[in-house]
Formats: sequence, C-alpha cells, structure tokens
Amino acid sequence: MWIKLRRTFEAGVKNFMRNGWLSVATVSVMVITLFVVNTQLAIIGANDLRLKDVQNRVNISVEIKPETSTSEVKDFQNEIQGYDKVSSVELIDKEQALIEFKSFTQSGSTIQSGIETLGENFLYDTLVVRTYDPSQYEDVVKKIETSVSAKYVEEINYHKYRDIIDGLSDEIKTTRKFSITLALTLSLVAILVTFNSIRITMYSHKQEIEIMKLVGASNNYVRLPFIWEGIFYGITAAFFAIPFSFLYLKYITSGDAASSVFAFSNTKFLKDFLSVYFIKHIFIIVLVQFAFGIILGVMSSLVAMRRYLKKL
Amino acid sequence: MIKFENISKVYPGSSPALENINFNVNPGEFVSVVGHSGAGKSTLLKLIYTEEKPTTGTVLFDETNIVDLRPKELPILRRNIGTVFQDYKLLPKKTLAENVSFALEVAGKSDGEIRETVPKILDIVGLADKMENYPREVSGGEQQRVALARALVNKPKVLIADEPTGNLDPVSTWEIIQLLLKINEFGTTVLLATHDNGIVDRIARRVVVMENGRIVSDKQKGKYQL
Repeated sequence: MWIKLRRTFEAGVKNFMRNGWLSVATVSVMVITLFVVNTQLAIIGANDLRLKDVQNRVNISVEIKPETSTSEVKDFQNEIQGYDKVSSVELIDKEQALIEFKSFTQSGSTIQSGIETLGENFLYDTLVVRTYDPSQYEDVVKKIETSVSAKYVEEINYHKYRDIIDGLSDEIKTTRKFSITLALTLSLVAILVTFNSIRITMYSHKQEIEIMKLVGASNNYVRLPFIWEGIFYGITAAFFAIPFSFLYLKYITSGDAASSVFAFSNTKFLKDFLSVYFIKHIFIIVLVQFAFGIILGVMSSLVAMRRYLKKL
Repeated sequence: MIKFENISKVYPGSSPALENINFNVNPGEFVSVVGHSGAGKSTLLKLIYTEEKPTTGTVLFDETNIVDLRPKELPILRRNIGTVFQDYKLLPKKTLAENVSFALEVAGKSDGEIRETVPKILDIVGLADKMENYPREVSGGEQQRVALARALVNKPKVLIADEPTGNLDPVSTWEIIQLLLKINEFGTTVLLATHDNGIVDRIARRVVVMENGRIVSDKQKGKYQL
C-alpha cells in the first residue's frame, strides 16, 4: 500500500513537472477561480458588517412624559427589556440628554443661546430601544403602544425614521443578495472553466491511461498519479491565489482606488475590515483555499478520467 | 493454454468481426495469425488481453474462462500477457527505463528488483545506452524493442504481437522477429498477427489464416497463402 502511494506520488510529481505549459494553464485557471471566490467572500463579509453597523445605529426613542416618576420609568424600562425581540433598552435621562445635545451644537450659536434663554430643560427622559433585527421594530413599537405603560409615553419617534430605516435595510439586503448571486455565478463559471481545463489535460493523457491498463495496472494505480497531480494543481493555485487576493484587497481599500471601487461606502471601518481581513483570518483562509483547490483538482481529475478508465 | 470455443463477435450494425472461431494454442508454440486488414486478426488477439469481449463463446486461459473475469481481476491476467503493437504504445512522458519499470511497478515488484532488472532487460534488447532517453528521441525500431522489453519484463506466459513490424524498415523488422523467436525459444508462447508474407515464410512455424472473421486454414509448418 505504502509502496503504491509512494510510487504514484512520484509519478504525479513527474507528470506535473513534465506537463509544462498544460500545468501552467490549469494552475492559472484555478488561481483565477480561487481569487474570485476569495475576494467575493471578503466583499460579502464587508457587506454583512455594514448591515450590522446600520442595524446598530437604528433604534426606537421612547420619550417619557415629564410627570413620570423615576421608579415608574425604571419599571417601564424593565418591561420593554422583557420583550423577546428586544436586544437592549437604555435610559438616557434629560440632564444627560441636554449635555449631549449641547455637545452637538456649537457654543455661541443661536440654538445654544436659545437653550440658555429658556433656562429650563425642555428635553424628556428617553428610553432607547434596540431589537435584534430591524424588521422587528414595527412589532416592538406596536407592543409598547398597546402596553399598560403606554400612558407614560410622550412620543415614539420611530415613525419619523421608519421610511429611512426600511429603505436602508432593504438596500442592504438587495446588495447582499446581489453580491451573493454574483459570487456564486462567478465561482460556478470559474469552477466549470477549471473542470474543462483539467478535462483537456486528461484528454492528453487518454492514451497513457489505455497503455497503463494494458500493462496490467489496476484502476487505482492509474488513478492515483492523476489524483496527486490534481492535489498539486490545488496547492500551487492556492499558493498563488492567496497573495493575489491579499494585494487586490489592499489595493481597493487604500489610496485613490478605495473611493472609486468602494463607492458604496467609504466608511473607515469597512476599509479596516478588508485590510485586516486576511491577517485576521489567515489560517482559515489558507485552510479553505487549499481544501477547495485540492477538492476541485481531485474531483475534476476523477470525473474527467472516468470514461477512459471504463473503456478497458 | 489458450482455447477459443465457438467464438463470435458482432459489432452492432456491421457484418460479424469474428464467426465460429475454434482453435487452441499450446504452451511454447509460435503462432502467426495472417490475413488482410479487417480479417479479424486484431479482434481475435484483443479477446486474449480482454480489450474486447466476444458476443458468444468462451476464451480459456489456463483453464480459466477470461470472458467472465471481473474488472478487478483483469490487471492480474494482463500481467501474465505481454503485448506489443504496431504503434509501440510507450508512455510518451516517461523515459525508456521508466517505461519498462512501470510494468514492474504495477506488478508490485520491489525497488531493488526493479533497479536490477530494468538495465538487464534493456541490455538484452540492445538499448542499455539509451535508458534515459524519451521515446520521441529514438527510432521506431528502438521504440519497438523497448515495448518488447516491457512486455517481457514480468516474464509473461504469452506474448501477443499485433503487427509489431508494421511501421518498421526491413532491418528493424528482422531484428524484432529474431527477438520474438528467441523469446519463444526460452519458453514463452508467442502469437503474432501480421500481413507481411516475407516474415511468415521465414519464420516457418504454425500459421493460422483468417478471412472475413473466419479461420480458413491452420497449418503446423505453414506459408503465407491467401
């Protein structure tokens, strides 16, 4: 068994080296496949991050009537926290809100002087409610409005932002769908091209397979060198695809290229995400690349070889 | 040793390639199978190394009906049958030495044995100095001698040569035939398919004549007569 593995391994190495241009062509096609899959995955990852970011910014602000006591507000907060769709409820009291409001506006501006003139805090205590999913805001708002504690509510400002929120999450979902479809389509095309180029490689081996069988080689003995060859294709391809993808992501996330390629978002965290994406996930990426490359190489070889093996 | 019983082979939509074939080959015999192209010589030989299966009938090899062998058992049978063809069928990306050692490798021989045997057999066919060359770098006659070396290296019981001299000049042709006769002297059964009357007449051994898929004559010391 070992002797068989060793001999076929050596034969595989020799085939790979002696095939010359055919090996180069096959590996190139596989590098492109892996590159496409790689960068698409990174972009899908970035898009998911963007979705999460928007979701975190979206919230429901429940303004509480001034006459409500602190303990009533606390109870109300706990009640909302108990809803199963709610991820967090944060209480911002009006003093804190005023400080935040002031920090947003420029000192000496008319708004600031207006606040000064009023002399009293015109803001409300506010409960900031977040849900796990933007689509759940509607339900949560309804629940708050129909609860017994609704009497404390001055205003829920969700309605004001509803259209914007809906629009945003729709847009993100569409982008996500689009990039996944694109990634799948491109990957499929690349896989088919790889399969085809390995099929051509196999066709060039057609007579060899026939001869090997005539000399008395078992099917496995014929198959194994080609499987090894497929593995070498995968490894070599991954070896080149990883630095290529790394450089590509580096390029689109830095310098002038960033703003043109990433028109959909110039936020810093996205760039950060993509520029560290590789370093952060290097092990899993290398693993997946090699696994994918090897599986692609081996499967294509096996399928392409089958008909020649059957013939004899 | 080899027994054809009531063999016929029909490819769908054409006249029979083989019809009612009955004949025996005894151990140590040298049999020339002659006939025009399309007479059925190659098809008959293919039945022995199981590249083709008969439509009806049985082929016995050492009392085993090889028609019924399972795919897994075929490699073992083939290691007992050496084959040589008109187009040499060498592996183009392997050197001459590697071509010969491949036959030993598939038979599971040890590295030591391979290292020892390959130069020896290549020396016998006169190619010791070209071991590291690739098939495309040597002449047709030399390629055919490598093919012969490969066919013999596993010490097969039977050697099948299907038009082995079809592409060769007269000198190379005669070299190959002499090698075949020598191999036969050492006890290997040889089946030679050819349409070269000169060869058959000089060999002067058993001749089986085929025509349109049938055996029309079978003589112990035959001449090429159609």
